[in-house]
Amino acid sequence: MRITILNGEPDPGSSFHRYVHELAGQLTASGHQVLTLDLGGLDLKGCSGCFGCWVKTPGRCVKGDDSGRVCRAVVEADLLVAASRVTMGFTSALLKRAADQMIPLVHPYLELEGGEVHHRPRYSSYPGFALVLGPGPGADAEDLEISAGLWLRLARNLKFRTVFTAVADRPAREVAFDLVAAA
Amino acid sequence: MTSLLLLDGSPRGPRSNSMKMLSRLAEGWISAGGAAPETLHLVRPADFDRAVAAFAQAEVVLLGMPLYTDAMPGLVMAFIEALAPRVAVAAAGGRNPVLAFLVQSGFPEALHSRPLERYLQKLARRLGSPYAGTIVRGGGEALQMRPDSSNQRLWAQLRTLGGQLARDLRFGAPELRAIAGVERFSPVTAALLSVAFKLSIAQFCWNRQLKSNGAWDQRFAAPYRSNGSTSGGSVAEPWG
Repeated sequence: MRITILNGEPDPGSSFHRYVHELAGQLTASGHQVLTLDLGGLDLKGCSGCFGCWVKTPGRCVKGDDSGRVCRAVVEADLLVAASRVTMGFTSALLKRAADQMIPLVHPYLELEGGEVHHRPRYSSYPGFALVLGPGPGADAEDLEISAGLWLRLARNLKFRTVFTAVADRPAREVAFDLVAAA
Repeated sequence: MTSLLLLDGSPRGPRSNSMKMLSRLAEGWISAGGAAPETLHLVRPADFDRAVAAFAQAEVVLLGMPLYTDAMPGLVMAFIEALAPRVAVAAAGGRNPVLAFLVQSGFPEALHSRPLERYLQKLARRLGSPYAGTIVRGGGEALQMRPDSSNQRLWAQLRTLGGQLARDLRFGAPELRAIAGVERFSPVTAALLSVAFKLSIAQFCWNRQLKSNGAWDQRFAAPYRSNGSTSGGSVAEPWG
């Protein structure tokens, strides 16, 4: 299957950065088509809340930065993996900035889904979703749970199909196996 | 008089819905005897740096933000990451300011903001800060779209909460419940809304903007997948 990995680790010299690429290597070795986007190397200007992607250039951010590459890699994937260390209780600001610029993937129109108000889908299908959390300095079990809970809400609003959370405290080979099994 | 650092975490900056609401909270704070707050907009780089430095000196910090993809905006998370040295200060017995938060979202129900509220409560604990509470309020986008006179009740609620913060260093639980509005729609209301959302009148505000931008014909565009299937369309990225 096609797998997109959003690497939210800003420090290319860190062990978590190496872990994410090891994970990508394991998935490739298992026969999957893997695209790893190191978000720290992309031009992501962040969302300004202009809603241009809903009312001016529907489906595309008006800033013309690399967020279009991220959005394309998300909708083309069968499985989306977001990877980040948990620092100050949540995934990185870098990963969050990329997530903020994913709203062109849904439509401004609202609908009722599971008794809650959500945005309507823009695409006919969306990838499955997996979150890979690296415990950063001071991160406890509650931080991982809170982080996963926030991403669960995001996944629901962005129509991602399945949700799986893995903690990067065991070999990348095992996590790679579990990600594919859950998808 | 207690000092207040008022932080606007909206990527839209001074004209945001978050700032409109923070201004009303500040009015209540001053009326109740608090010192005139220092207001900073995190979207401005100089203000961002000033906010990190001013955090340590402030007695009370009120951080307001819109809900972006179900959590804090990336901008606000960058500010929180910059506060990491304050965790060590607290662990060594130093003090951090009282923390109060405002989370406003475009969704009508409060439930969308509750996971972020839980995060912010834990953030206060992490920093060793007394937690004054989080104001959760939905329907924020409508503030831009209707006359200010129709927001009077909301402004009064915010002034009351600002006064409570100045007097008690915390928000009142009944007032937080009242301003949050509906937590989750009843099954009957949800069914009615579900029908209403299918009528074009419900999407009037979006449609008006789409038409005035000449983007109406493109409103259902799916630019990153040309024919709606994973097998078709051009793939710009080097897969595999």
